[in-house]
Amino acid sequence: MTPSSNASPFEPADSPGSSSLRLPKLRGSLDSQSMSSSISTLPYRNSNASVSSLFASTSTPTGSRSVSPSGNGTPSRMMSGSVFGGLSGDGNQLSPADRPEDPRSLITQAFVPHIAVHTSVDTKELVKDKGFKGGLWELLRPFGERIQGKVTVRDSVGAGKTWEDFAVRFVELGDGLELPEAVSGSRKSAEGRIVAANGTKPIPGSVIAKRMRTGGDITPIETLVDRHLSYAEEFPSMSGEEFFNLKDSQRSPDVPSPFYTLYLRRLLSGLPLAPHETFSHPVACVIAISSRNTNPIETLRNLYDESSRGAKRLPLWVNNEYLRYYVLVHDEERDDITKSMTLFEQMKRHFGLHCHLLRLRSSECVATDDDSIQLPRCEWLAAPEELAEIQTRESQEDIEISYPCIYESDTTAIKTFIREMVTQSIVPSMERCVVTWNDQVASRRRGISGRFISMSKKWAFGGSSRSSSNGPTSSNSNYDALQGFYRPDAPEAVMRKLADYAFMLRDWKLAYSTYDLLRTDFNNDKAWKYHAAANEMAAVSQLMMPQAISSKVRSETIDQMLETSSYSYITRCGATYGALRSLALGMELLRLRGGSATEDAARWGTRLLENKVVGVVGDALFKERVSACYASKKGAGSELWGSRTRKSALWSILAADAWLTLGKIQQSKQRVEEANGKYGMLTNQDSLSHFAHANEFLEALQREVQLALYPESGIEGPGQGDDLIDTSIGEESEAFVSRPHRRSVMGQVAPLANLESAPLHGALLEGNGEETPRADQFE
Amino acid sequence: MSYYFAIIGTQDNPLFEYEFGTSKQGGDGIARFPEQARHMNQFIVHSSLDIVEEVQWGGGQMYLKCIDRFYNNYVSCFITGGNVKFFLLHAPSQPAVANTTRASTSIAANPTSPQTEEAIKQFFAEVYENWVKTIMNPFYQVNMEVKSPVFRGRVAAAGKKYL
Repeated sequence: MTPSSNASPFEPADSPGSSSLRLPKLRGSLDSQSMSSSISTLPYRNSNASVSSLFASTSTPTGSRSVSPSGNGTPSRMMSGSVFGGLSGDGNQLSPADRPEDPRSLITQAFVPHIAVHTSVDTKELVKDKGFKGGLWELLRPFGERIQGKVTVRDSVGAGKTWEDFAVRFVELGDGLELPEAVSGSRKSAEGRIVAANGTKPIPGSVIAKRMRTGGDITPIETLVDRHLSYAEEFPSMSGEEFFNLKDSQRSPDVPSPFYTLYLRRLLSGLPLAPHETFSHPVACVIAISSRNTNPIETLRNLYDESSRGAKRLPLWVNNEYLRYYVLVHDEERDDITKSMTLFEQMKRHFGLHCHLLRLRSSECVATDDDSIQLPRCEWLAAPEELAEIQTRESQEDIEISYPCIYESDTTAIKTFIREMVTQSIVPSMERCVVTWNDQVASRRRGISGRFISMSKKWAFGGSSRSSSNGPTSSNSNYDALQGFYRPDAPEAVMRKLADYAFMLRDWKLAYSTYDLLRTDFNNDKAWKYHAAANEMAAVSQLMMPQAISSKVRSETIDQMLETSSYSYITRCGATYGALRSLALGMELLRLRGGSATEDAARWGTRLLENKVVGVVGDALFKERVSACYASKKGAGSELWGSRTRKSALWSILAADAWLTLGKIQQSKQRVEEANGKYGMLTNQDSLSHFAHANEFLEALQREVQLALYPESGIEGPGQGDDLIDTSIGEESEAFVSRPHRRSVMGQVAPLANLESAPLHGALLEGNGEETPRADQFE
Repeated sequence: MSYYFAIIGTQDNPLFEYEFGTSKQGGDGIARFPEQARHMNQFIVHSSLDIVEEVQWGGGQMYLKCIDRFYNNYVSCFITGGNVKFFLLHAPSQPAVANTTRASTSIAANPTSPQTEEAIKQFFAEVYENWVKTIMNPFYQVNMEVKSPVFRGRVAAAGKKYL
């Protein structure tokens, strides 16, 4: 029996609350069905150098990829060793997160303060002259991801802590608004709904671009990771090389596949602006004018008004009292610096200390210029944005790499500006907010009287005078059930903001205690989305704390919170994105803790798969992770009692099967090898071979992977059941019509000795003139 | 409700396998595992050995109750004195049936309820008795597969009686 007609029957047919994302699993049907967006129909022909660099995040070995422009020379292998060593016991203290793949560093990099950028028209023109169409935020964004030097943050007790990897995210004011099911109260979302309703109406380009930068949707993430995977399949030499480089650490489940890292990263980038969490609400707004402006102070005032009252006002549920930071962009080439200096002095007098003079050159920089350097690539693009980028690069005919470049003097200026703004204005103002809110709102709630207030609210003695004003549904809560949000000045909203600020400043303890308070409040108010989000973040912040958590506490708190959060997200709100995020983060953080926590981690991973919140690509990736969770559990003694080797191997096989279904042969091969390695670790190594059906399935899987990789071996080999194999090839090759080389390999050409030459060979057969540059990929 | 019963020897090798369906509430006693997923039963039972090896040191009981779950499949285990393990994988039928009120108390619908636990315990006890009688055969050696049709018939009868 081959698994070719496998419709994955061991999974429940259809559970309530399953999303429409999930598609029938038929081998080779993916290309026509799930990736029905225009992306999949794109020709793969134009894979020039600039395209291949876009896939660098998944196609280069993890060890050699430097994240900061300064280049961290520390090999990741050593780091993973130290993480490994610290985790042998049950619920141990956690070692610091160093590697970029570590879920903790991923979380600290994902939930960072968002800074909105609002500029005058003349600034936009200046930046456009430099070659950045998006405006100032586009220029600042890559530098915000890695702030130069250390940033010291004071926590609620007053103890300072220094972070090397502090980051902020620059967005355009109004970015990230959830368009479809947004709240009716906001003007913006109403607009968005109209646009969505009649597709014939031309949508302005800015709106499209805005929507591109908004994450929070699973489908584009799936499509993007699928593109990366296809690329890795197309150039297997790269993933093969990577595989060999990682071979020694491959056994360690702490190194996830680059595709999974990408999946998580895209899941966490472009957090949508939503009422129930305030991570993407602006912490500050950069208001910028340029030296070209004729009426600077007036323009600044107008911009301020726009951001707080006018057209750019964020929806009602966003707290409008964020910091305004005024920037004067000085054009080094066309304007007089003394004039700008006087203007800057004037600005300082008007607006206080939160001002900066940013000196930039206005001419466009090209790669051949003397002190030009490439603009660093943004790591935290939202999935649709990266997809669009890949698309444009691929449709470009020229092989010329046309990355935006800027002058080195400009980068220095920008880095200094960002550093100064973050350390002198943003972090202190956030600290101040945390202290104030903690004093005025949260500690009052924490005290005895606060408990009484919440109790009296619950049992509704008194306070009836207020209830009449609050609309028909609510009794006397601050929650506006009709519109589905708290007003930003309600204590609950302030506390949520306090918790999020504390989280962004990495004060996990304060964040946890505040989220914990909020959980009950939101539950009483039946504000389900808020409730789900508070539970999610409470679990995450508790797991981020380095202290050991006993298994009893874990089952009482974290399990409860994750359970409530996923249930609320899925069943009550239908928000699969939130459910996916909370379960994926919970799983990864639990896995890190080792010991019996890995069991919980695997359970949450399975839950994720059962609820079918992910699509086909995510399904395979998370099967891989469940396998990794089980593999993280270390056994005791020579017999490795208590380890989960067999479970881990089973999930590897499931993942291999899923990858094969998707036509990702390289991945499938790796997983099968992993499974075989795990079975080899057992005391009774060949125990599975006594199970007739299981053994047959595993062998069929291996055979199919072999066939897909080296088709000639199956055709020539004196195999048993040749007919069966041949039909399966036929199915596979139909699915790969978009890839020329596979078809040509199928076409009975002379057997190809090594895999590396296969794509090239196929390309030559096709007689495609543009293929020649591809040969360079293999050197 | 479909059942897959397997006896696993000391070297993780299967000694006896039997699939059957429920006979309660009008069931016809035929297993309804999907044809393409027959191998999964074996995979699941094999992977549950991990759990048994941990749980078996927890207490002195031979009946370890429901120890594992894989999607909608529940695995109960009974461990004999000779380190031979009995596994019963039970997969409740999909909750498509309308008459939930009556089904909710039945064994078929609640794989983890005390009634189910008790029924499986009785099933295991009866199989164990027959197992001991079977392996007392002088020609039987450790970890040899059991092919006796009498034993198979007795297991089937026990399944019919209790499950």
